[in-house]
Amino acid sequence: MTSQTILSVDSITKRFGAVVALRDISMTIEAGEITGLVGDNGAGKSTLVKLISGVLRQDGGTLAYDGQPATFTTPAQARASGIETVYQDLSLTGNMTVWANVYLGRELIKGPRFLNILDKAAMIAQTRQMLGRFAMNVPPIEAPVDALSGGQRQLIAIARAAAWGSKLILMDEPTAALGVAETQAVEEVIRGLRESGFSVLVISHNLEQVFRITDRIWVLRRGQVIGQRVTKDTHPDEIVAMITGAAAAMSGNLP
Amino acid sequence: MTTAADQQSRSSLLAELVRRLGISLVLLALVVFMLATKDQFGTYANIANVLQQNAIIGIVACGMTFAIILGGFDLSVGAVAALASVVGANIMIDAAAFNFTLGIAGALLACLSIGAFNGFLIAYVRVNPFVATLGTMTVVRGLIFVYTNATPRFGVDYSFTTIGLGKILGVPIPTIIFVGIALLLGFVLHRTRFGHYVFAVGGNAKTASEMGIDVRRIRFSVYVLAAFCAACAGIILIGQTASAQPQAGLGYELTAIAAVIVGGASLGGGRGSMGGTIVGIFILGVVSNGLNLFGVSAFWQPVATGFILIAAVGLDRGSHNKG
Ligand SMILES: Nc1ncnc2c1ncn2[C@@H]1O[C@H](COP(=O)(O)OP(=O)(O)O)[C@@H](O)[C@H]1O
Ligand SMILES: [Mg+2]
Repeated sequence: MTSQTILSVDSITKRFGAVVALRDISMTIEAGEITGLVGDNGAGKSTLVKLISGVLRQDGGTLAYDGQPATFTTPAQARASGIETVYQDLSLTGNMTVWANVYLGRELIKGPRFLNILDKAAMIAQTRQMLGRFAMNVPPIEAPVDALSGGQRQLIAIARAAAWGSKLILMDEPTAALGVAETQAVEEVIRGLRESGFSVLVISHNLEQVFRITDRIWVLRRGQVIGQRVTKDTHPDEIVAMITGAAAAMSGNLP
Repeated sequence: MTTAADQQSRSSLLAELVRRLGISLVLLALVVFMLATKDQFGTYANIANVLQQNAIIGIVACGMTFAIILGGFDLSVGAVAALASVVGANIMIDAAAFNFTLGIAGALLACLSIGAFNGFLIAYVRVNPFVATLGTMTVVRGLIFVYTNATPRFGVDYSFTTIGLGKILGVPIPTIIFVGIALLLGFVLHRTRFGHYVFAVGGNAKTASEMGIDVRRIRFSVYVLAAFCAACAGIILIGQTASAQPQAGLGYELTAIAAVIVGGASLGGGRGSMGGTIVGIFILGVVSNGLNLFGVSAFWQPVATGFILIAAVGLDRGSHNKG
């Protein structure tokens, strides 16, 4: 199988004061795949996502994105080069409409440039089309996000991430707050992203979900990479053992 | 699942609509009540009077609308209006040629510097808007009193009173200026990217910043805009008195905040509209005019404004708890 690496993490270390959140970790994300990132609470998963998305800077080590060394100092830089992040809190503005959230920071403008008049009609139409690509039930485009269900909000956050010609989408526990039906809908959307050619990194605590949607699984424990497995060649028991440390105890192969 | 969510959003849209219309209905009811009970209310003289009296505070409230939607407010607007009155009138009295133009320019310059100072403190130093604008309000009013010895200075050429007291086709010129500013700022707030970002920052500043919006620049600009509106109010005040009035604009800040909140804005930020503010201004204005016509002492008017403000904030909290 010849996969192409879209992002590689090389010997990255990140400290918060005395806490070493990530200790010399290396991993890769393959293009066109859904990569799962699992590990216990505090393993460093969110920290890793924040490093890749430019929210945090590493204390040591390097990132390479699309074959180029990546030194993002702000989320805007990461986004400009095609890395979008769906944060745990979704980064939605509840008082604003669905279309306003999808276009937040990248509004379409009409008329004379200096007036910066919003092209609301175009943004509404394109948001409807965009959400229609990912979801069967398009939420009301002109309603404030506050009025939507958790699943619909997640959908909007994901659609926004996918909307901007991005290549890599990072998601930190996208279904943690959702019910069964909504979780299913979001998983459908994530699979749809892969079909549309996106590379996706998903953090999840739900192993069944990880096995349902991912192509490859990376395991972190206490800030270190325990290993990776191709999803179809492994078993939940093995991943659980890697997460908890039972695997190391059994075979003594700590990296 | 989706139908329930649809229904939920539809009913909250409906609630929003009722809320907005509700305010206009309150104004309508007030006007109908006044028309029914006081013949004098409907006369041209009285209506022109209400329009003129509320134009100046209305202009201040237009700027305040931005500050409140942004999640802050500006307590210094009354002092800034007085600053415009004092600086503008003094230049108009002392400068020989082009005195009106110079006076207006000087008033704007002084007021915009105060607005920029507020904006700098709030946007860049991250001083709480209450503290920052309470501070500038006190300092500016104090400096005005020091400079003027707290006494008015008369002597602005009478032709300038056209701006404050004149009429075009029977409509008071301050009202025309108010309508112009309200239309312009309503357009900026509801149609342009800048206004859109004011809502975004007021709704969720962290998200706005994550999405690449320059939150500090938006905050800074809003306080400059609030000061600009206060300056326009102060300049029109010169036109009403042909003098420098150190006491001008006392209490403007609270009346303006009350009008904006009555108009449906939320002190938590992220919500409000220019149309709502205008309705809010006239609700306060008609109540005040009504008290007047019923012979109630003018001292009761701040009491009424205060109660209306409390009621509006109370209603707003109620709707927040639901959502
Ligand atoms: N901003 C921060 N300041 C201090 N410590 C932090 C911060 N963010 C994360 N940590 C610490 O880093 C470690 C990894 O956290 P995190 O990446 O959130 O783990 P995960 O997402 O896998 O649960 C934890 O020990 C956590 O307490
Ligand atoms: Mg986490």
